[in-house]
Amino acid sequence: MKNMHRSLAISIAIALGAHGGLAQAQTTLNVISGGSQNMVDYITDYLGPLFEKQNPGVKVSVVGTGPDDAGSQKMLEKLQAQKSAGVAAWDTDVVIPNQQKTGEMVQDGLLMKYRDSIPTGKYAVSQSAKQALGVNVDGYVMPMFESQTAIAYNPDLVKNPPGSYDEMRAFVAKNPKAFGYNGLKNGMSGVAFVVGWMYAYGGNPEAVQQGPYDAKNSAGWKKAFADLKAFNQQVVFTPGNAGTLDMLNRGEIAMGPVWVDMFQSWKAEGRLAPNLRLKILSPGMPGQPYYYAIPAKAKNVDLAKKFIALATSPEVQAEGIVKRFNWYPGIDANVVKPALDPKVWNSLFVDITPADLAKNGKPFPLAPYFKDLREQYEAQVQN
Amino acid sequence: MARLSSTSGLGRLGPALLLMAPAVVMVGLLFVYPLLVSLAFAFRNESTGAWDLANFQKAFSLYGNDIALTAGVTVLATALVGVLAIAIAGYLTLGENPRAVFVLRWLYRWPLFIPFVVAAQLMRTFLAKNGMLNNALMSLGVVDPLHAISLLDWRGVVITFVWKQLPFAALLISGAMASMDRSMIESARGLGAGRFRILLEIVVPQVMSTVFVALILSFVTMLSALSVPMMIVAGSPTLLTVDMAWRVNSYGDYGVANALGFVSFAMSGVAAWFYLRQGLREGGKPR
Repeated sequence: MKNMHRSLAISIAIALGAHGGLAQAQTTLNVISGGSQNMVDYITDYLGPLFEKQNPGVKVSVVGTGPDDAGSQKMLEKLQAQKSAGVAAWDTDVVIPNQQKTGEMVQDGLLMKYRDSIPTGKYAVSQSAKQALGVNVDGYVMPMFESQTAIAYNPDLVKNPPGSYDEMRAFVAKNPKAFGYNGLKNGMSGVAFVVGWMYAYGGNPEAVQQGPYDAKNSAGWKKAFADLKAFNQQVVFTPGNAGTLDMLNRGEIAMGPVWVDMFQSWKAEGRLAPNLRLKILSPGMPGQPYYYAIPAKAKNVDLAKKFIALATSPEVQAEGIVKRFNWYPGIDANVVKPALDPKVWNSLFVDITPADLAKNGKPFPLAPYFKDLREQYEAQVQN
Repeated sequence: MARLSSTSGLGRLGPALLLMAPAVVMVGLLFVYPLLVSLAFAFRNESTGAWDLANFQKAFSLYGNDIALTAGVTVLATALVGVLAIAIAGYLTLGENPRAVFVLRWLYRWPLFIPFVVAAQLMRTFLAKNGMLNNALMSLGVVDPLHAISLLDWRGVVITFVWKQLPFAALLISGAMASMDRSMIESARGLGAGRFRILLEIVVPQVMSTVFVALILSFVTMLSALSVPMMIVAGSPTLLTVDMAWRVNSYGDYGVANALGFVSFAMSGVAAWFYLRQGLREGGKPR
């Protein structure tokens, strides 16, 4: 009985303490994150608490809208709705959308130009900090990280992994059903494989990546899609990015395109066989950043800037982005490197060297080409 | 007397309408209005601003196979649910081994409590090429590892749908069977009819309307499931719900998504027509 009283007293004290903490936190910074659950966890478990510690009285609240275009489309529609309703102060302070939807948000006037007013703005040096699939986003975004797709393979089953799309076709012709990918509708690593295929065989890859948009540049796509349709007869379709890794791990396929960070994280968590390895196909496979951006009429603009400055500081990029999540840094890698243990830095580039990345890491196509490409795949390859 | 009751009927109507109003307004605003708008906007051509069939042309040219597959998968799954549910309900009603009946009664309802998305995840690990099913068959020596096939395509969807909807249909049908007058069963049994014959010739005809209702409701539920095809079918063809989500999420294209929704609505409309007709035949009260 005495014990019970004591535990009751303790739980009341805890409840009061928690309540006191809540009463203190007068400002809530609302963050909406696209990407998979790991990106939400990153803010809940790491970045949010760090920011709250540095800014007493602020609470970071994060909502995840899910991966790929779907998640970022939800953000776009939410901001658009508040804009068309004429709301004076929007309920979102920081958004983390993918590349394609960021471009659309900038075009629709939903984002604020803020980068030059934060101290880490000068570290945003990559091409993707200026252009998002052909849309000028310079000043509107800070890249959170860079992600890259590559082919994961099981070296026990594949001694000499293909290094190019040509070699991949030869391999698949010889080993039907050993290669698996998630097609077009089940996640971006499959989309990336298709995009790489079009860069290799569709003609005019520079125009498709850099613009300007001209429908004539897609003249060679028909043949490339026909070849891809024939190629697809020899492969296995997997249910999603995670599905490819699952099937690889169960030995149902020997090779498949994956996101490098997901691959590394699963490996680090022991969810993948330790012997699996990566390789980027030439002439290139795409990658994409996720961005930090501030809605045009965010309520807590100063806090949002502070939050993004913290998130893109070399220390946080080193500890959070590279060490914990195996992503490539979103800011200038040279300022991140000194903050990292050389061992961690090197492990990021074991299978895929910086030279591979520089040569074969490609952006996704310009938004209008990207839309054409996906629709034509649906019409010519899937039907 | 008649006049009196009719005036008091009118008088009663006022408060009744008042009580109904919140529900009617909610259904109207949150369901009927968006439904009508989405059906109407299936005919809206966003690029020209005209009203035409462009969305339907695109929907049929890109997703014609998926429309056919959706119809095929849901009809097949509904038929299987019907056959199996009648078998289960029949055994619960006519089974002679009380222990077996008890175990079955206890077991068959389980999937009812499992959401579609969890069922899909279960099946994903169960039906994969190196999944539980094949591993079990391999260890029994029924299947050799090289010839194991993955069932994660339309077959997986049918299996998941049937597994998930079966208890619902069986529950309704066994309820109807339990409330039947048993004297006919007993007399048929007395005359030496087998259980199978009693089930088909005496029991099922009497509960046919319940079977019908259970199957129509199952059909509509399966037609609208998104998580199951999304998680189980890799590649194409796939079901319409996945295509609708894809049009909205990837292209922000509500026109074609609405057109696909219209097609799916037409399919469930056919089922609804059967449902209402069945109800009218029984005296104007759809159950």
